[in-house]
Amino acid sequence: MKETIGCHLLPSSRCRCSNLTIETYASAADETTKIQSSVVAGSGPDIHNLGTTFTPVAYATQGFLTLSEDDWTKIGGRERFLPQTLGMSGPDEANQIGVPAAMRPFGLAYNTDMFTAAGIASPPTTWDDFVTDATKLTNSAAGVYGTTLDFSDPFDPWKFIWAMTEQQGGYFVSPDLKTAGLNSDQTLSATTGYFDLLTEYHLADPASVGWKSGDAIAAFSQGKAAMYPMVTAQAIPTLDKSPLKGHYAFASLLTVALGMTERPAGAEPAASIVSGDNIAIASYTKDKDLALQFIDLMTSTDQQLANYQAFGNLPTNQDAMNQLSAQNALLAPFLEIESNSTPTAFTGAWADVQNGVTNVVTQSQPSLASGSYDTGAVKALLDTANSSGQSALDRANK
Amino acid sequence: MPLPPADKLRRAPRPTSSRGRPLWLMWPNLILLTAVIVIPFLIGVYISFLDLDQYTLRKFFKAPFVGFQNYVEAFTSAGLLHSIWISLAFSILTTLVCTPIGLLAAMAVNTAFRGRFLVRSLFLVPYVIPSFVTATVWRFIFQPNGAANSLLDTFGIDGGQWLIGDRAFWALVIVDIWAAWPFIYMMTIAGLQSIPNEMYEAADLDGATWVKKIRYVALPQIRGQLLLGLLLSTLAHFNNFTLPYVLLGSPAPQPALTLPVNVYQTSFQVFRFGLGAAMAVISLILMIIPAVIYLRASKLTAAVGED
Repeated sequence: MKETIGCHLLPSSRCRCSNLTIETYASAADETTKIQSSVVAGSGPDIHNLGTTFTPVAYATQGFLTLSEDDWTKIGGRERFLPQTLGMSGPDEANQIGVPAAMRPFGLAYNTDMFTAAGIASPPTTWDDFVTDATKLTNSAAGVYGTTLDFSDPFDPWKFIWAMTEQQGGYFVSPDLKTAGLNSDQTLSATTGYFDLLTEYHLADPASVGWKSGDAIAAFSQGKAAMYPMVTAQAIPTLDKSPLKGHYAFASLLTVALGMTERPAGAEPAASIVSGDNIAIASYTKDKDLALQFIDLMTSTDQQLANYQAFGNLPTNQDAMNQLSAQNALLAPFLEIESNSTPTAFTGAWADVQNGVTNVVTQSQPSLASGSYDTGAVKALLDTANSSGQSALDRANK
Repeated sequence: MPLPPADKLRRAPRPTSSRGRPLWLMWPNLILLTAVIVIPFLIGVYISFLDLDQYTLRKFFKAPFVGFQNYVEAFTSAGLLHSIWISLAFSILTTLVCTPIGLLAAMAVNTAFRGRFLVRSLFLVPYVIPSFVTATVWRFIFQPNGAANSLLDTFGIDGGQWLIGDRAFWALVIVDIWAAWPFIYMMTIAGLQSIPNEMYEAADLDGATWVKKIRYVALPQIRGQLLLGLLLSTLAHFNNFTLPYVLLGSPAPQPALTLPVNVYQTSFQVFRFGLGAAMAVISLILMIIPAVIYLRASKLTAAVGED
């Protein structure tokens, strides 16, 4: 089995060790296609690695085994894992298909030297503090900004809007998974608040309208931005190869929405989505016990630490994460971030909702590039996204 | 003219040119075409009548039959007409621009000169680079701080954002023209090389200028290759998925939401496989119509003996 794990770390796209075959994919799209093909054909890998936001879609296909209490016992029990990481394993405890195998909570990276120079003692905790600090850190004449933003990224923008919506007590999808909330006042306020970081407060490089996450990390690592929100621990190798090495730290993303001093009653902190990878067993497997043994191995303390060393994925295993954060102060904030993270709605309709919000940002980019936006136009885009999301939810609840 | 008697029609000999042909040699092709194109196509058509999505994917052929509902939805709420318009504009525009560039390039290297081999090789570079690489490189070039804006900046022009809003369409057109013009060049040069020198010499004797030689000798001789090139080029531009997907990402800006990207988003990002299949079938029908007209007009499908 150790040989198998060594195999897992090889760069080849496909390798075979003992009686296990492991395939890796060039892109998330390749992986999704393989999963869909396997579900249709009823054959393929016994175990699939699923992104957390894709897990509800995988659950909807009914192509994966629901784990019994006995199954959980065989892989060390739920208590092996950080509690929040189980948030995207299934719709409820009795219907879980995914075993958390990797954790990638989103945080805020900040340039400690720039903070010290600006007399800012600690990273912000509310979005209002974030605006205040970023304003102080911005020197646009010198090409230095308080923060990075990446409006062209296919994943980051919806997470900003989702977090700000949740922090106001709103939702993208209602808790009963029946109603889309993209046309709510909270979502509109979250969307315009996210846009305002650029158009009203001018906290980021105007070019960030066309940036993706790669551009954002480049700007941050070159000292052109003091803060880099929506970053995972996987950025560490890149940052450590830049002049920024030893001059940055991580903190939690903000948990109180713009214009508020505290969250309304019942609103979620939403410091991050529950992000990472789950391992799920295909329902067509003929060797469930071996699959469970493999999952047990992959989520063990040693293997989780090895996974971090090889890929930068933080452990979902409590023991491994505690060891790691005790050894590496840089990683310690991610434990707190994970504890304040909020799962996204566990529905097969999530892809429509997520893509709908991303599309609102994409179609608003020309306005953002011009320096302002029309709230009515943003509302119209959100209404369209809501119709599409509601239609998807209706199909999910048929 | 009266028709010949039926028994004579039955006994009519085959044309000499088709007698004794080893037509069985086509079987491997036919089997492969059936396996790789015909069967998947028929499955695609069938899927287009199903409510196949993430909830019914596992049942596949047993997914609910919804008749033409996917087709109706494609036209009414999936943005199909918008994407067709974008793809049509994109493919026609790029072909129109690529054609003179390819023609001029082919004529420039048609006659021998020192270094012709090198120039011919260089002309092919954009075409042989994989679309994925082309799109990735141009994505960097079109970044706000990229090479395109740096170049414009030397002339005092603020390039702004290329990959968002309306300008995304023009960025797509520019990149596609850069990548695709060598195809017209290749088709043209192949035709030009097959023209016998005697025809040019005869034109010279008649005192024809180089413009007249192109107009009355070269172009009529390469008409077939050029028309085929235009047809294939238009179809390739219309069906181009990789370039817009990698260059602009997904979701794409509305002004650059081409049909292939729309079909991909519908099928593989929101998992409406039935709806995506309906859009793909409509796309195929749209492509067949001009293709048939084009082929008939250019006599490329003419049977033996037909003119």
